[in-house]
Amino acid sequence: MVKRSEKAKTMRKLIKAIWIFNWFNSCGFAELVPLVGSRWDMERFGMIIVGTPRHADVLFIAGYQTQKSIERAKRVYEQMAEPRVVIALGSCTMTGGMYWDSYNTIKKLDKYLPITMYIPGCPPRPEAVFEACEKIFEHVKELK
Amino acid sequence: MTKKENQLLKEINTKFKTKGRIQREHRIWVTINEKKLTEICKWLKEKGFEHLSAISVTDWLEQKEYELTYHLWSYDDKILITVKTRINRNKPIIESVTSIWGESAQIHERELHELFGVKFKGNKDLLPLFLENWQGPAPFRKDFDWRDYVREEFYDKKNEREKVYYD
Repeated sequence: MVKRSEKAKTMRKLIKAIWIFNWFNSCGFAELVPLVGSRWDMERFGMIIVGTPRHADVLFIAGYQTQKSIERAKRVYEQMAEPRVVIALGSCTMTGGMYWDSYNTIKKLDKYLPITMYIPGCPPRPEAVFEACEKIFEHVKELK
Repeated sequence: MTKKENQLLKEINTKFKTKGRIQREHRIWVTINEKKLTEICKWLKEKGFEHLSAISVTDWLEQKEYELTYHLWSYDDKILITVKTRINRNKPIIESVTSIWGESAQIHERELHELFGVKFKGNKDLLPLFLENWQGPAPFRKDFDWRDYVREEFYDKKNEREKVYYD
């Protein structure tokens, strides 16, 4: 029998399915709709979109953030319960994407929020999003 | 061209000594001195131009002027009047029209104050609308180099990966 730490035990209890809160600006949502639809159907992996950040394990941030919306994103993040994971989707969150020279958008999101994972792509493929979520499960399994 | 437009244009031109013209059907353009702006606006409101569709600013950098454009619509006559006026772009101060159109003028003036730095005398609430914690100059001015601003604010020239932004 493997000896597990208290943290690993709690994590195993908590992370059975991934509940998601979406924080999408601009095209972020439109490009991820296939994930919810019947073709890729994220619910078969237990991924559900919840209505409030207080219920969510994972925060999806997509699209470019503006100076104004980042303050709201921070408040959303603060409301989430531990353990929490932030996944940033698309090139906009990484480098500013096509808005790299805009005066009021955020270029590097990790300067403002603790990002767990970046998923590149414009937009990222649904499979890439699944892989990111799979990594969360793997991480919990590997915890000792 | 209907009679209504011709008649209205005649009235405006004689009353305010302007050289307005009929652009096309249902449209009249009038250019007026900034000092007479509130006067013409009040008069037009009484004539039935109760809807202020938009206020916009054009930045004429070489002429050192801002051109303010007021679009007014009359529901009864179905005419859109465009009132234009020019102000100094280095000292952009103009009389507010909130006393005439109230809330609908207020939001436009607040936006233009933020993006162009136009001061509307008589508007009580000119707080920032879209930009938060903004310290830079008014961003829609043509002499504001946003690319330079972004390089200064967000990027580091010494960073090997960010060098491309300076090419």
